[in-house]
Amino acid sequence: MGKSRYLLKRLIYIIFVFFIISILMFAIYKSMPGNPVDIMLGDSKTTMKPEAYQALYEQTVKSLGLDKPLPVQYFAWISNMLTGNFGYSTQYKQEVINVIGAPMANTVMLNILTMFVVFLISIPLGILTAVRKNSVFDKSVQVLTIVGYSIPTFIIALLAIFLLAVKFPIFPISGVSTAGSTTTGLAAMLDKLHHMALPVLVMSVSGIGGITRYVRAAMIDVLRMDYIKTARAKGLSEKVVIYVHAFRNALIPVVTVTTWWVVGLFGGSIVIESVFLWPGLGKMLIDALLQRDFAVVLTMQMFYVVLSLAGNVIMDIAYTMVDPRVRLDS
Amino acid sequence: MKKTRLLSLLLAGVMTASLAACGSQSTVTNNTSSTPASSTAVSEGTRPTEPQGQLVIGTTTQMGNDFYDPRFSNNATNYKTYDLIHGYGTVVSDKEGAWVYDPTVVASHEETENEDGTKTYTVTINDGLVWSDGTPITAKDYVFQLLLESSPEMNGVDGYPSQAGYSLVGYDEFFAGETEYFAGVHLVDDMTYSVTVRAEELPYHYDITYASAMPRPMHVIAPGCDVEDTAEGATITGDFTTELLLETINNSTTGYRYAPTVTCGPYLFDSFDVASAQCTLKVNPDYAGDYRGVKPVIEKIIIKTVKTDTMINELKSGSVDLLFQCSGADTINAGLDLVDAGEAQDNTFFRNGYGKIQFDCSQFPTDSENVRKAIAYCLDRNEFARQYSGGYASVVHAYYGLAQWEYQQSKTWIDQNLNTYEKNLDEAKKLLEEDGWTLNADGSAYSGTGLRYKEVDGELKPLVIEWANTDGNPVSDLLATMLPEAMTEIGMQLNPTTMDFPTLQTAITHSGDKIYNMYNLATGFALASSPWYYYSTDPVWMQGGYNSNWIADEELAAAAEALKAIPYDDNDAWLTAWQNFILIWNEKLPDIPLYSDEYYDFFSNRLHGWESTSVWEWSRAVLDAWVDA
Repeated sequence: MGKSRYLLKRLIYIIFVFFIISILMFAIYKSMPGNPVDIMLGDSKTTMKPEAYQALYEQTVKSLGLDKPLPVQYFAWISNMLTGNFGYSTQYKQEVINVIGAPMANTVMLNILTMFVVFLISIPLGILTAVRKNSVFDKSVQVLTIVGYSIPTFIIALLAIFLLAVKFPIFPISGVSTAGSTTTGLAAMLDKLHHMALPVLVMSVSGIGGITRYVRAAMIDVLRMDYIKTARAKGLSEKVVIYVHAFRNALIPVVTVTTWWVVGLFGGSIVIESVFLWPGLGKMLIDALLQRDFAVVLTMQMFYVVLSLAGNVIMDIAYTMVDPRVRLDS
Repeated sequence: MKKTRLLSLLLAGVMTASLAACGSQSTVTNNTSSTPASSTAVSEGTRPTEPQGQLVIGTTTQMGNDFYDPRFSNNATNYKTYDLIHGYGTVVSDKEGAWVYDPTVVASHEETENEDGTKTYTVTINDGLVWSDGTPITAKDYVFQLLLESSPEMNGVDGYPSQAGYSLVGYDEFFAGETEYFAGVHLVDDMTYSVTVRAEELPYHYDITYASAMPRPMHVIAPGCDVEDTAEGATITGDFTTELLLETINNSTTGYRYAPTVTCGPYLFDSFDVASAQCTLKVNPDYAGDYRGVKPVIEKIIIKTVKTDTMINELKSGSVDLLFQCSGADTINAGLDLVDAGEAQDNTFFRNGYGKIQFDCSQFPTDSENVRKAIAYCLDRNEFARQYSGGYASVVHAYYGLAQWEYQQSKTWIDQNLNTYEKNLDEAKKLLEEDGWTLNADGSAYSGTGLRYKEVDGELKPLVIEWANTDGNPVSDLLATMLPEAMTEIGMQLNPTTMDFPTLQTAITHSGDKIYNMYNLATGFALASSPWYYYSTDPVWMQGGYNSNWIADEELAAAAEALKAIPYDDNDAWLTAWQNFILIWNEKLPDIPLYSDEYYDFFSNRLHGWESTSVWEWSRAVLDAWVDA
């Protein structure tokens, strides 16, 4: 009963915040300088006679609904969006739904693989460094992790390209697949994984650095607790003490980070996508902003808003799962 | 050392956001060749008779999923792909950039000047041309294109402009949907069509382009429809509706925009991988050849995106075979290193355009010719081009491109007659004095230091230049270094404002507040260069974006207008009028040309016969080239 009530309250809160943010977003983007219709019509301005261009311009304004007052535009946009009609991209001259799928798939694929690599390495590494606190191994990892998340991603990316694609051509420099490749099935997947290797490596470096330190700190706190001493005094094996008693209790901060990683699966990285020419959501968002393609921008922004709001709820639920002391109704 | 160089190239590339490439004059360029276009390609071998191999072309402009024509997509790489997919236009540009009837397509043509001032072009196409599905191409397909792409039905497909027949008699009524018949278009017989141009569109220097049409596969785009001719003009019969076109053209998976399966160009659309933005084309075995009869012998072309910072490495690694129109010292030097090492070949030519400072000539104080010239005298343009381009650029002195034949034939005349505006602060001060900038802020005679003022309508106005520029633009950075000190010395103040490009466009078009005096931009010359529009004093052409200098100068406008009526084949008259126009332009100085890029194509040793220029771009050059099997 308590959990249901909590979830209902959060749902109402999400809807309220969603609408407030949608109004703010809409107002901000509409107030940006730059004319999306001029940009959409592009070279037509200097390839058509002025009067013909003017007629086309006015027709385009009308067809996009930009001739209506802003409140009317807002209600038309939000009601369309809620019914799954995300609008018309002035940049691609297609429905937004038709252009957003491929970059989203690229981004999600890259982020899932990165998340897998990061957690696979950083959680055991964090635990190990916490257990061997102040050892040479721990100190070495501390230094490396600081370096990992301190160096800007684009520097790591360029170094990785130089070393692993230029100097030792193990991986391709950029792209999603080999040009002209006609492979299918497993061979095509391996080709794609080959192209993903460098971007995943670069994205993982900073992720591993951050999460390893996070897990280490959480584990060190837990390992100081009396119940860990009790567990050891009971004669439990060190493995059981660490992985069953300590790690479970260190999970709360890890859950926070993990939730934001999951939410972030749909967030593209403009740096990674630009350097490795990986057509994803980050580059799409920045391109859309520069082209004043507000239908694309607003769709993506509202998608991120929903994800963030939902992420908070998911995180709360996850807390109750890893720590029975947490109650949603309280 | 080599490692450091590669790494520094990568780093420099990322840190330097470049909007445009470079340009040069003979005093600046590193190119020791005596001609603007040159090539170090040596390994030619024998051109195969049958198509073979594949060519991977790297482009810095990511392609979009749109293959109909430029009116749907503004993407530069897609433009060139249209050239490869869609063919058999009746009028094409040749290797020198001149408009000609394509003899592979056109069996005969006739021009008739009518009594009412209109002009009729009758074109008969050759028998034997076929679509890629084997269907014969007839005059109906050409008339269909003119009707389709002028129709209100097509206008309903994502706002397609429907302007193909804009200059023809009866266009307005046809486009407005007032009649189903296009009076200016006729299907004369199965292989002949005619178009009649409105009197008010004539005379026009490039009037040959009015005869131009390109076939569209009616049986694919409008199945069940037909083209019929009547005394009132040609018409499309059958169930020709926007709904039909939305399905046949705009369907996101099967529409002709996204999957043009029946075409007639040198290459056929094979696939577009949305995930990698990579396009694959295959040779069209039924293609009859370009205007010279040349058929492609590269079996497969793949167009993939590359990044400026790493594209030379991609060429070295073999993941691309051709990089076209490379510019900027970092990229060119890295490419030339590959050429020196025997790992690649190159081809170089000058860009047909230039980077510039563009003045708003309707805005005080750059409405004054003297102020514009004074700014020009503040800048060492040769040094600017050298620093900006690393030596791969040239300086031009007026409204011309180094690839234009007029320039090629006027080099000596240009040297003798145009003002080169060498940096000269004394001359700049003199011009300002003559223009009345002779006062201090308190109204006393100018002291020789500080900001100059001028009395305008009883009010003292300072000599302040508002400059709008875009962020991350190396031209802006260099101008910000080279201009302000000299301008301060002559009593002028430069106020820079940085913004993104859409905001800059708003300022140029006067869509927002009218604030700025100058912008730094780049321009390119179309093959049908029409300066009479760009310097017209008619406000329509200013508001329409053509006269973006907003210059209302009768002398300049008249000099440009004089070009418009000269017959296309009268080169002598054109050249004389052109020289007069650029002489006046050089005097009025609506822009300060800064640099004209020297472009390089870099390509793998397995590519042969590569010859491209700024008027014969890669999509045309690829027909002559071949690759090793």
